[in-house]
Amino acid sequence: MKMVEKILARASGRAEVAPGEIVVADVDGLVMHDLSAYLTSKVYEERVGLPVRYPERVTLVFDHTFSPATEETADVLVHDRAWARRHGINLYDCGSGNIHHVVAHGGHARPGSVIVGSDSHTPVYGALGAFATGIGNDSHAGMVLPYGKAWFRVPETVHVMITGTLQPGTTTRDVALWLVGQIGEGGAVYKALQFEGEFVESLSFWDRWLLPLITIDLGAKCGLIEPDEVTERFVATLPARPGHEPLRGDPGDVSERWTYDVSALRPQVACPPTVGNVKAVEDAGGREINWAELGGHGGGRIEDLRLAADVLRRLPKHPDVRFNIVPSSRQVFAQALEEGLVAELHSGGATFFPPSTGSNQAVNMGAMSAGEAMISTHARNFPGRNGSSQAEMYLASALTVAASATQGRITDPREVIPDLTELAGVTAGAER
Amino acid sequence: MTSQVAMQTSGRAWLVGDNIPSDQMVKSHRVFLPMEEIVRHVLEDAHPGFAAGVAPGDVLIAGRHFGQSSGRAIATKAIKATRVGCVVAEYFARTFYRNAFEIGLPILEIPDIRRHVSDGDPVSVDVAAGTLRNERTGETVNGRPTDPFLIEMLRGGGLIPIAARLAGESA
Repeated sequence: MKMVEKILARASGRAEVAPGEIVVADVDGLVMHDLSAYLTSKVYEERVGLPVRYPERVTLVFDHTFSPATEETADVLVHDRAWARRHGINLYDCGSGNIHHVVAHGGHARPGSVIVGSDSHTPVYGALGAFATGIGNDSHAGMVLPYGKAWFRVPETVHVMITGTLQPGTTTRDVALWLVGQIGEGGAVYKALQFEGEFVESLSFWDRWLLPLITIDLGAKCGLIEPDEVTERFVATLPARPGHEPLRGDPGDVSERWTYDVSALRPQVACPPTVGNVKAVEDAGGREINWAELGGHGGGRIEDLRLAADVLRRLPKHPDVRFNIVPSSRQVFAQALEEGLVAELHSGGATFFPPSTGSNQAVNMGAMSAGEAMISTHARNFPGRNGSSQAEMYLASALTVAASATQGRITDPREVIPDLTELAGVTAGAER
Repeated sequence: MTSQVAMQTSGRAWLVGDNIPSDQMVKSHRVFLPMEEIVRHVLEDAHPGFAAGVAPGDVLIAGRHFGQSSGRAIATKAIKATRVGCVVAEYFARTFYRNAFEIGLPILEIPDIRRHVSDGDPVSVDVAAGTLRNERTGETVNGRPTDPFLIEMLRGGGLIPIAARLAGESA
C-alpha cells in the first residue's frame, strides 16, 4: 500500500484500503480559524447540538484578525471564544500567528495522523507525514465534532519526484510556484501528491512545508512527504501530545510518477489572476509595486526574515514601497528578536505586524486601491481578495519579495544582489 | 431537518468560465451577512446577471475547476440558496465537490459541457442518471458517473441527516 492508503486504513480500522473506496476514519485533528470557526459553530449549534467528543483534538486559531477593526468582527471573536470555552476546544487568540504555523508549532499535527480543516491549505501538514485535507463546515459539524470521524474517498497517489540542486537566487518557494505552473491548476484533481526525491530529502522541515501547501491549487486532495530524520528532529522540538507511529509507503508501490528537475530553475512569480499564472521573474515585466509583504501561509518564517534582513543590509528599501513583515507565529517573532532581525528590519524601513495571517483576504490589513500592486509570500492572488478587484497581487519567494521592495518593481534578485551565495539559507538544505 | 433534494431539474442554463474561486462566489467581507443578502451577490463578477435573473430549477454551467480556493461551504450554500436545480461543470475543485453533496446541492461533472450548451439554452438534468439534455438542440450529453455513496447522501438531504449512521452511532 501507498502511504496515504496506510494512514487511512489504520484510521478506519481496516487492514487495507484501495483508491476509490469510501472510508470513515478517526480524525486526530480539526483546525479552524476565526472565520471558519464562526460558520462551523453556527451549523453545529443549530443542526447538531451534541457535546464535542474529543475537544482536545480541535484547535481554533484567530489568525485573520489580530485586532478587530469593527464591532462586527469583535462580535465574531466574542462568539468564537465563548464557543471554544464552552466545549473546551484549544484556542489561540489574536496575535498567535498564521493558523497552520501555530498548529505545527503547537504539536497539534503529527506524523501518521489524520488532520482536517475548512482552510483549503490544510494539506500543508503533509509535510509532517500526516494525511491532511480541507473539508467543509458540514463535515466538521456533522461528524468530526460529535463523533471524531470523517468520511473520505481514498485518493489515487501520484509520486512527484523532484531532482537537482537549485542555483543561487532560487529557493524552494520558487520550486513550489513553478510546479503549480507545470502541473497546472486542476492538474491533479482529487489526487494525493507524494513529494519525493533527492531535492525534497535535502530540505529543512520549513522548506518542505512549501510543497504540500500548493496541492490545493493543483486540485489535489492532499500532499505528503514521507517522514524521515528531518521530520523526527522537528517533531522532537514540539510539545508532547498523543500521536501515531509514522507510516511510509511500501517501497516500489508506485502507480504514477511525475519527475521534475530544478537545476536550471530561475526565480518564479505567480501573476494575477490565478496562482497558476506562473512566470520567471525576469520575464514578468518588472511591474511597479506599492506593497511588499512577508507573511501568510507561505511566508513569515524565520528563514524569510533572515533573507529579508540580508537583502536590506545590502540595499535600501525603495521609498515608495511599504514593506510589511508578518511573523508566522510568536515563536518566529521571538526568534527574530533574539537574532536581532526585528531591529534590523525595522531600521531598514520595514514595518512589523503582529503574528497573524497578515494581508490574507484583507480581513485585518492589506486592502489595496485600484491600480495598486503587492508582491508577497501569500498563497493566493485572485482579484478582489485584497480590496479593489483592479488591484494586483503577485506571489513570489521571500528573496524576490525583499529584492522587489528595494527596487520598487518586481525584481529578479539575481539582478541586484551580486553575492547571492552569501545569503542566509539561499541554498537548498543550508538550514537543516 | 431532512430537506427534499430533487434529482431532476429543468430550466435556463447560466454559463460561467474556468477556475472560478469560491471566494468570488461569496466574497470574504460578506460571509457573515444573512443568506438573503449574500445570495444577491452570488457570482457577481463571473456572471453579473445571474443573481438577479436566476429562477428555481435553473442550471448553472461552469468550466474547469469550479469552486477552487477556500473550502468553506458558504459558497455552495449560497449557490444552493439561489435555488438553482443543479450545477454542471467540466470538473469541480474537490472541496466544492464534497461540500455540494454534504449540503444537498445537486452537481454533475460533464467533460466539455460548454460545447453542448449556450448561455440561455433550456436544459434538463438528471443527476442520478448523469445526463443533461439541451432542449434547444435536442442533444443529450452524458456526464461522469457519481459515486453511489454521494447520490445516497444527496437523496438524504446532505451529510448531517446521515452522519450518525455513517459514524456507526445509533441515532
